[in-house]
Amino acid sequence: MISTLTIPALPEGWAAEKDFKPIGKITKDHATQRTIEPVGPHFLAHARRARHKRTFSEDDR
Amino acid sequence: MSDKKVATSPDDRTVIGITFGNSNSSVAHTVDDKAEVIANEDGDRQIPTILSYVDGEEYYGQQAKNFLVRNPKNTAAYFRDFLGKDFKSIDPTHNHASAHPEDANGAVTFTVKDKEGEDAEPSKLSVDEVAARFFRRLVGSASDYLGKKITSAVITVPTNFSDKQKSALIAAATAADVEVLQLISEPVAAALAYDARPDTEVKDKIVVVADLGGTRSDVTVLASRSGMYTVLATAHDYEFHGAALDKVLMDHFAKEFLKKNPKSDPRENARSLAKLKLESESTKKALSIGANASFSVESLADGIDFASTINRLRYEMIARGVFEGITRLVSSVIKKAGLDVLDIDEVILSGGTSHTPRIASNLAAVFPESTAIQSPSTSATAVNPSELQARGAALQASLIEMYEAEDIDQSTHAAVTTVPHITNAIGVVSRSPSGEDVFIPIVQPETAVPTRRTVFVPAPKDGGDVLVRIVEGNTHIKVTQPAPKAAAANGGSRAAKVEDADDSDADESDSEEEEDDDEEKREKVWKIGATVAEAAIRGVKKGGKVEVTINVNADLSVIVTTREVGGKGGVRGVISA
Ligand SMILES: Nc1ncnc2c1ncn2[C@@H]1O[C@H](COP(=O)(O)OP(=O)(O)OP(=O)(O)O)[C@@H](O)[C@H]1O
Ligand SMILES: [Mg+2]
Repeated sequence: MISTLTIPALPEGWAAEKDFKPIGKITKDHATQRTIEPVGPHFLAHARRARHKRTFSEDDR
Repeated sequence: MSDKKVATSPDDRTVIGITFGNSNSSVAHTVDDKAEVIANEDGDRQIPTILSYVDGEEYYGQQAKNFLVRNPKNTAAYFRDFLGKDFKSIDPTHNHASAHPEDANGAVTFTVKDKEGEDAEPSKLSVDEVAARFFRRLVGSASDYLGKKITSAVITVPTNFSDKQKSALIAAATAADVEVLQLISEPVAAALAYDARPDTEVKDKIVVVADLGGTRSDVTVLASRSGMYTVLATAHDYEFHGAALDKVLMDHFAKEFLKKNPKSDPRENARSLAKLKLESESTKKALSIGANASFSVESLADGIDFASTINRLRYEMIARGVFEGITRLVSSVIKKAGLDVLDIDEVILSGGTSHTPRIASNLAAVFPESTAIQSPSTSATAVNPSELQARGAALQASLIEMYEAEDIDQSTHAAVTTVPHITNAIGVVSRSPSGEDVFIPIVQPETAVPTRRTVFVPAPKDGGDVLVRIVEGNTHIKVTQPAPKAAAANGGSRAAKVEDADDSDADESDSEEEEDDDEEKREKVWKIGATVAEAAIRGVKKGGKVEVTINVNADLSVIVTTREVGGKGGVRGVISA
């Protein structure tokens, strides 16, 4: 399905510093505090990152 | 005592996964990263959670279950849910035909004669002691099978087990000399058993786990995101379960028996009732495989033998109330999660009662065709529902066996597990061939943060400068009523059909079509919400593709990185929290 969809062309006159324009925010109102089940290999990777305060890219290295 | 744990150094561990149910327990281990359920010395993989004492001899599992007929008073059964509970708050419904739970200063105890000799005093065993003894047997036979002593285990628990119940369970295992590495949720163990299969790709999906056991049915809605699970809603039911199905068959065969022997109701005598129940359960299991099953008991009541058969259709008719109760339970928990059946990608049927074909087909009828129904009768690749939890526990045990106990505690601490989950999706706006804006999700709703996700979207045919618009999105259910115009057209064609009424084949296909038209169409569609950020990628090649990566940090700030696939540079921007 994605293959028939395309990224739209840039509208005439669009401009922003370094071609990036922050507009909205993800706020606390848009998030719920929930508990991830501490189970499975992907959780263990998450726990490792969280405990060593590592980001995804640091984890990739 | 509950705080005392056996800690074994990782190098000395032999680990297993255990599921400990009110009806059955099961043990699994891993061989080359694949989970396998271990049979005990009787050859059973589902081991009845029952202990029985005869002449000072201890029996467990199926042998103990068989003693429900001849020795019910000295047989303790259906006790798992009593662990960590006050006597006042337990439901002894299922203990009528075995040792009765008793009140000992609020603690739950069973009085059984566990020593040899006619005049030996009966013992008062706390439920903790009964559980510990059962664990010792369960783990003992698994140790025998493996040829080395099992030291440690991951054990599954229901999602509504309290902290008190959990510590009582840990204490019982500890008393049986088993180090409890971790307690994990039953439905999550089942989901892991599916997802850990080789060649299973990690997909974002909403999963319903229907765990249908002997004395309870538990249903859970899970968000599975990047292979991590979050419970969205749970429901627990103590009315529609395997024992209720046994009861349906018990009444059926009791009535059949009464037709021939009007004076002997097998339900009015404890021993007859026990035989009736055991055989009804076997007949029920046979009906999960065959279209017919037999029922046969020697000396069912008043010394009269009884044999009969039942076919599956009949069974499904008399058990309809229970089946419908299960379907309602599943529907209710989806509603509780604020979701629609169209949101559910997969239904995992877990627990022994999930072998029942009709339960699976009733559920399949509730969900859209796109929902995968994982049960033996609806999927050729389904995992045995009776084995899912033990397998999941064994997989988890093998994942953490090299961790120090302290590391496990830290990793499972709320500081690590309790995190914000975004409520809306975050995605990118694309254009359809007809010029409409269409949302492409990148991060799905109910994803835990931090998270990182990437999508690839083609640029317009001729390339050029493109706009990467990052927006929030959510879904709604679009309902399309049958168009009245189509109905009129149909009416016309029906009138035409009446004229050549002898063409019955055409008539049939016509009426089928009509049925389809009458139904409203429900579909899940994405709605584009507030814009979060925009970025431009300039000079994309003909036939080029754009890569968009969203990083949502723990503080809900977002990093957007986007570039032409294979191109240099690209744009990186931060949206502060
Ligand atoms: N093949 C089968 N067909 C139908 N029902 C089955 C089949 N196998 C087992 N069952 C039923 O499944 C139930 C036991 O389920 P399970 O082994 O999941 O137990 P459990 O989790 O210990 O149950 P609970 O804690 O709810 O009492 C019993 O009622 C049993 O008769
Ligand atoms: Mg169960």
